[in-house]
Amino acid sequence: MSTELARSVVVVAELRQGQLAPVTWELLACGRQIAQAAGLSLRAMVLGEAVREEAARLAAVGAAVCALQGPDLAQYSGQAWREVLAAALPSLQPAMVLAAHTTQGLDFAPGLALRLGAACLSGVERVTQEAGRLLFSRPAWHGKAQAQYASTAPLTVLTVQPGAFAAQAAAAERAAGSLEVRTAAPAAGPVRSLGLRRAAEQSAELAQAQVVVAAGRGVGKPENLALIRSLAACFSSAAVAGSRPVCDAGWLDYSRQVGITGATVAPRLYLACGISGARQHTAGMQGAGFIVAISLDPQAAIFNLADVCLVEDLTLFIPAFLAECGPAAA
Amino acid sequence: MNILVCLKQVCEPETAFSFQASPPRLRLPDAARYQMNSFDEYALEEALLLKERLAGVRLDALSVGPVRVAAVLQRAQGMGADRAVHVLSEQDSEALSVATWIAAWAREQDYDLILCGAMSQDAMQGLVGPLLAELLGLPLATLVVKLEPRPAQRMYVEREVEGGWRDCLELPFPALLTIQSGINRPRYPSLSNLLRAKQTRPFAIEASTLPTATSRLELVAENTPQRTRTGLRLQGSTQDKARQLAAMLRERALL
Repeated sequence: MSTELARSVVVVAELRQGQLAPVTWELLACGRQIAQAAGLSLRAMVLGEAVREEAARLAAVGAAVCALQGPDLAQYSGQAWREVLAAALPSLQPAMVLAAHTTQGLDFAPGLALRLGAACLSGVERVTQEAGRLLFSRPAWHGKAQAQYASTAPLTVLTVQPGAFAAQAAAAERAAGSLEVRTAAPAAGPVRSLGLRRAAEQSAELAQAQVVVAAGRGVGKPENLALIRSLAACFSSAAVAGSRPVCDAGWLDYSRQVGITGATVAPRLYLACGISGARQHTAGMQGAGFIVAISLDPQAAIFNLADVCLVEDLTLFIPAFLAECGPAAA
Repeated sequence: MNILVCLKQVCEPETAFSFQASPPRLRLPDAARYQMNSFDEYALEEALLLKERLAGVRLDALSVGPVRVAAVLQRAQGMGADRAVHVLSEQDSEALSVATWIAAWAREQDYDLILCGAMSQDAMQGLVGPLLAELLGLPLATLVVKLEPRPAQRMYVEREVEGGWRDCLELPFPALLTIQSGINRPRYPSLSNLLRAKQTRPFAIEASTLPTATSRLELVAENTPQRTRTGLRLQGSTQDKARQLAAMLRERALL
């Protein structure tokens, strides 16, 4: 039991442009919950070129922080991250390692878990306790179910869904944690980083719109986008958006994509039309003021985060709605 | 050049599920319909584009699962895969087991490139590809949205990252890539290829004859998702519902 007490939850901080990404504070909240439930200490690791200041911000909220610095860590690289973390983590005696369920975490966490002999669970949204065990919930079956897992391994690597835990701000009553700075120099691996390239601009109209009318795969065919556009035309400040499959199919430009890999929007009203509700999409719109979802599938995952649900065929419902709010009805 | 594409068969997103109480699990209807995981379709198409561009490419398609997944392999051959490999396994296995089985097969082959979809549509874990790369000690790039072969046995890839950015990398062969949706437009199977595929059987291996990974996770329960909002379901005819919605939006000064 005494060795149990020395074990830790280690949060792997995520940086963007050299600064702590907002999801890091959410990881810390998840980590604190696990630490309290399982009697573990809370630690964090920050990797980068010069990260002492960012590491100190994490230490200030009570985590014991280990910063790993070096010129080869200036930019994210899966190969470098796996190597440096696999070498440094064992000294912190982790029972749990938390990374963000982002394009970074998804890239390095599975391989890291294997190197550490750990279990790996991705996209965790909730942590609960049952019969003395920690249960980790993630979406399953197209988001229509929640699956709860327990780890049977001594070490578990989790990726945590952004937006699932409320970010933890500095709490005055907590004593600051320790800060240790180490130098890390990963070996030159076979993958060569050539830097970041800007690919897509997001639509300004979409970001500013009070109402977003979004089309999903359930729209069926590109011709039906005309219905979506006429629905948007009912509102004074509305923009048309789409889910990833609609943009992948070329029906809408990627600048109109809402979701993890597209825009994050928070309009007063979000009308989800034929959208199944995959996390990839909902992460980009769950902050909307009022959410109306229209889908033919009565079990669609989108209904779990909608204020109003309509199990309807879009090609019938939208014309009926237009008749209600058109000039004749007003 | 030998390429392996890993394919998962998933149930259709519109499948009507039910839940059983003990053990708490989701149940698929007997009439459930299945399809190729859409992310894997993009991976397969990317492999086919390479095959068209480079000389001497042999393309293998592999799927893990029960007898029904043969349909996915047949579709892959219909799209242009040369060989089909079926790792037969009855239950829905955890990602590490699937990756361990594929690794056992791939070690005996001589693949220059392994492509996987970025994730599966149903489970959305994104684990099999990265785990397989680690098991085989291969260089890895995930969420690839652009792939170009370069001279001297290297390739240029772009990974899609948050905020409209691309992470640009150069990798040697052999390597493993996970392919993000939208990188191409997957083709439809051709009739002549489909007819040919129907005459051949996939190379079948029983998963039980392959090395297995010790399970590290226990699935405790599957149940209805957490609801974050009220989720009021409007009732009545289509016209009734349209009227109710318009009234609700007017009440909130949204319309």
